Amino acid sequence: MRIAFAGNPNSGKTTMYNALTGRNEKIGNWGGVTVGSKEFQLKKEYAGDKEVIAVDLPGAYSMSPFTPEEGITSEYVRTANPDTIVNIVDATNLSRSLFFTTQLLELGIPVVVALNKTDINEKEGTKIDAAKLSKRLNCPVFETVSTENKGLSEMIAKAISLAGTAQEAPYMQADIDLHDKNAVDAEDRKRYSFVNGIVADVETRKTLSAETTSADKLDGVLTNPIIGILVFAVVMWGVFWVSQAWLGPLVADWLVGWIETFQEWVAGQLENSPAILSALLADGIVGGVGAVVGFLPLVMVMYFLIALLEDCGYMARVSAVMDPIFKRVGLSGKSVIPVVIGTGCGIPAIMACRTIRDERERRATTMLTTFIPCGAKIPVIALFAGAFFNGAGWVSTISYFLGLLLIFLGALLIKGITGYKYRKSFFIMELPKWKAPSLKFAFKSMMERAKAYIIKAATIILICNTVVQVMQTFNWHFQVVEEGAENTSILASIATPFAVLLIPLGFGVWQLAAAAITGFIAKENVVGTLAVVFALTSFIDTEELAMTGGANTVAATMGLTSVTALAYLFFNLYTPPCFAAIGAMNSEMKSRGWLWGAIGLQLGTGYTIAFLVNQFGTLFTEGHFAAGFIPGLIAEAVMVTALVLIARKVRAHFDEQYTLHKKTAAKGAAA
Amino acid sequence: MIAQITLNNGAKASVPAAEAEAAKTEEKRTLMSAEPGNTYIIKEINTDDDEMNSFLFRLGCYAGEPITLISKKKKNCIVVIKDGRYNLDQMLSEAIII
Repeated sequence: MRIAFAGNPNSGKTTMYNALTGRNEKIGNWGGVTVGSKEFQLKKEYAGDKEVIAVDLPGAYSMSPFTPEEGITSEYVRTANPDTIVNIVDATNLSRSLFFTTQLLELGIPVVVALNKTDINEKEGTKIDAAKLSKRLNCPVFETVSTENKGLSEMIAKAISLAGTAQEAPYMQADIDLHDKNAVDAEDRKRYSFVNGIVADVETRKTLSAETTSADKLDGVLTNPIIGILVFAVVMWGVFWVSQAWLGPLVADWLVGWIETFQEWVAGQLENSPAILSALLADGIVGGVGAVVGFLPLVMVMYFLIALLEDCGYMARVSAVMDPIFKRVGLSGKSVIPVVIGTGCGIPAIMACRTIRDERERRATTMLTTFIPCGAKIPVIALFAGAFFNGAGWVSTISYFLGLLLIFLGALLIKGITGYKYRKSFFIMELPKWKAPSLKFAFKSMMERAKAYIIKAATIILICNTVVQVMQTFNWHFQVVEEGAENTSILASIATPFAVLLIPLGFGVWQLAAAAITGFIAKENVVGTLAVVFALTSFIDTEELAMTGGANTVAATMGLTSVTALAYLFFNLYTPPCFAAIGAMNSEMKSRGWLWGAIGLQLGTGYTIAFLVNQFGTLFTEGHFAAGFIPGLIAEAVMVTALVLIARKVRAHFDEQYTLHKKTAAKGAAA
Repeated sequence: MIAQITLNNGAKASVPAAEAEAAKTEEKRTLMSAEPGNTYIIKEINTDDDEMNSFLFRLGCYAGEPITLISKKKKNCIVVIKDGRYNLDQMLSEAIII
């Protein structure tokens, strides 16, 4: 049997689902964290010997969807016939929540109401008479606190026992013509007055919601257009600094020591085996994968800090304070949430765009959000910061803020290309109550993602490293490449044509091109492949080497100056993300044109940034432009021409559409 | 308009009924010209966007219902609708007539 979890956004559905199933789905203190349905078996202690599947759904305010993710919920409860619905009601906002509850009760499927967040009500002195509420709604009501597992077992036992029964609705919508807007409005009003009647009957409040509290003063400061943005910048800088310049590297150094010991041990074990096997296993696999895993602590610390941010309620405030700026470039305040999530991983970030209502804003955000370096790009940043810039913290800071800048510029560009006309774009964001972030949840979320990272390193990255190692070891005749003839290897011959294109960017050697290409499979591969192709056995040692001033060996082997290294780093950061993220983009955009536009934009941006950094950096440090300035300019000219052509085509199409809608537009202006 | 605000300020009475009475005498006063800390009765929601109107409705933001302005900036404001706090942008708060 299946139990669906439905309720208003941010009522605690996923937290309850996680508690009941033992899963670790993403939670956060703002509306719209869950954007797709998820299902899993209930834990044995709750389900007994029955097989019960819990289905977690995105939050919805009603059965009529407003944003795409709300549609998933109403569609599911309407058509998928779950055996029972658990309606999670935010007890701190009963009057709003019950609107959806009464709609769910009309479906005929047995409903159990979980009156969640009752701990907050206790603190605030709000009392809800659950027995009376149950009577009025004609369904069982349980007081729960899903963050503390309180009341869950009774609630879910009841939900299981109700399967197969019929639900009688306390309130039935009259049979009306659903196309008649006025009739629907009148019915909705009746429903609300029914709900208001119940609330007045069962709820007593000590503090009125409308009273200004100290939390409101804090919100006032955080949504102040100047102070609020400064606070956000400082908070994000703090997150990056702690994870990538202080605590992260501290733990990483310790971990790297262990990995090296392991690598030496493997090499020792293989002493008597053929050289190729030893190179493949010790250097290729252990070295390459180890290079990636060595950066895990940086990623973990950041995941932990981001989870804390997401849990306390700050995200909604950030979204509110950034809205005016984002609006100016044609995005919405809601675009900030994917951007922050994107610091962890681009795929959930792309999916989080579903909460954006306007299609153009949603697609543009999907397209741009991966400019923010994700967790997989951290190893790349850390490696280059360590090897070329003495581990300087500014490298990572600049990577993030340049990413943000590119989002703004990209948004302006998209606005220009799509011929965006002034349109009403409303912004409303619920500001959830502040809460102390749960260290336990943050830790769980961190471990979950660390696990995923290690699995990825042990599968995709391991395979890629092995393939790269093999392709580098052999030539097309499957003979071992001789020393000094590395350019004849399979890898070299495949990567060389691409490398030519990269000459204007300052890194036109096949090794670097190969690393960038494997980066499209997973960005960590850039580090792994570099370790393999340059055969730097102690590559992961860069941090230590940097401290002892020996990072130059790494730098020298790669043949990069600090200018070209920066160009190469930026190229890897701002070109398209991994294939998985592109796949996510494809399914969210539902448009070939936009998808190819996104890939083209990202390739062009990465290329352009690297080109500018290399050419002007070289001009600045050496007094002349770097090699390939003119070919690079030609490449840029080609890109600009393509852009203009696309813009023209899109605009012509837009004008066609616009004329069709002229009548309604005129009407709107008149009103 | 300005005179009215001063009057509200001076009175310092945030009784919803009184506010509603005061609002009645005015022509299309939006949330943007309201005073923080006061509760108003919504007279009309006018977003020119049916879906948006009905979305607001489902939050409990519709004609006849109270709305409290908590704080106000140039580009946004924070309000209480039912028992929830929301951040609205300028455009939306101008579409709420009180």
